[in-house]
Amino acid sequence: MSPDQLTALLNTALSEHLAGKIPGKELMQLERLSGGANNETWRLTWGGTPMILRRRPFSADSVDQLEGNILGLSLVDEAAVIQLATSTSVPVPDIHAVFDASHPIGEAFLMGFIPGESIPQKWLVDDTYEVARSRLAFQCGEALGRIHSIDCSLLPANIGPTTLDKRFAAAQKRLHAFGDISPVMQFGLNWLIDHAPTEAPCVLLHGDFRTGNLLVDEQGLAGVLDWELTHQGPAEEDLGYLCANVWRFGHLQNPVGGFGGYDDLIAGYASTAGWTPELSTIRYWEIFAALSWGLVCQTMGALWHSGHGDVERAAVARRRSEAELDILLLIEEWGNA
Amino acid sequence: MSQANEQTTASDVTISELLGAVKGFLMDSASPALSGRDQFNARVAANVLGIIDREQQVGPELAALDAAAAQQWLPGDSGSGTALQQLSRALAAREIDADTDFFEYLRQRQLLVATINNPRYASRKVAEERWRSES
Repeated sequence: MSPDQLTALLNTALSEHLAGKIPGKELMQLERLSGGANNETWRLTWGGTPMILRRRPFSADSVDQLEGNILGLSLVDEAAVIQLATSTSVPVPDIHAVFDASHPIGEAFLMGFIPGESIPQKWLVDDTYEVARSRLAFQCGEALGRIHSIDCSLLPANIGPTTLDKRFAAAQKRLHAFGDISPVMQFGLNWLIDHAPTEAPCVLLHGDFRTGNLLVDEQGLAGVLDWELTHQGPAEEDLGYLCANVWRFGHLQNPVGGFGGYDDLIAGYASTAGWTPELSTIRYWEIFAALSWGLVCQTMGALWHSGHGDVERAAVARRRSEAELDILLLIEEWGNA
Repeated sequence: MSQANEQTTASDVTISELLGAVKGFLMDSASPALSGRDQFNARVAANVLGIIDREQQVGPELAALDAAAAQQWLPGDSGSGTALQQLSRALAAREIDADTDFFEYLRQRQLLVATINNPRYASRKVAEERWRSES
């Protein structure tokens, strides 16, 4: 859809949805932000109020055949979870309008714009964010503790509890469906199955809580974005995911997202969750996160083959090698620990 | 008449040089002339040419490694598919004893794959230091 078409559709829809809530007559400054291989992200202003539109450029039906739908929730469900999170003190944007797949705009939602820096390559290194970085691991722990306390009975029906065995089976099914092309991915899954931790109660997980999805200002955590992979699972999964090598942006010496240490993350988590996670279990989930990233890359390759996506998506398929490398490194470290 | 003494100018262009020329066009001409998503994709496309270049250089070594692994760890009639598929399926069926030797094969193949796809990935440096020295 061209920016002009989208502008026209949004003008009609927003006049209706935002009437009496946010003053404005006409959409201004619509701009596609780069990044985001699944969903489009657009910035716009309405009567001087900056907003963000998230839109899925293809119908959800077209990816139904991909087992486990690693592309995540519908944007409608994602918006519902963000709205639930606003009941905690986790910083999330306000949801202004939600459009389902039958709307001419397509599946999309409109949310508030939170000021802050979203580009990790900036906030991970700029002096401006030095204080923020020193606080961030603790703050991320706090935020995750709060997210995990959200009452799962309030979730959309699509976000149900699961078990490790079901997760393993879904991963195995995807490896087969994607052609069994990687002995390293299979080796990693076998290892995860053989070293599974004791089954723990399910909590609501953000599911994609990583450096690239955080908004940071000079005080630290300003926003938690991109809830499309939210699901239920054991709490340590979110903690391990944040520590995965692939999301450290090259700062391997700082295991928490490239900016912090395990101790601060665990202490922050304990302060809001009321219990202290084990480091070894967090590290198990780092390996799981590596496998998941590899599966995301394979999904991107499969989607590209089915005609969805541009050269970026084709290129992301090759980033599976990052996941494979980390799987081997981490399993080796586990054995030597 | 000694041709060797005459000054010559290279007239052939290798695959690597062709890829370099296209990469130069994408980065120096196309990218500045584009904006937004297209500009972003022009840079992605330039990076993809690097993958192609490295794969055509390293690919044969990788294929040889995989073929040797298939010979070592697969029984005679392992069904259809590439060496990688057969190895993956045998692992899934728990038919391969993933011992030290097998792990070493995976490490060496992954060093090559990482070289092709993302030589700047931070973990690669760790892996190179740890695994090259051992082999």
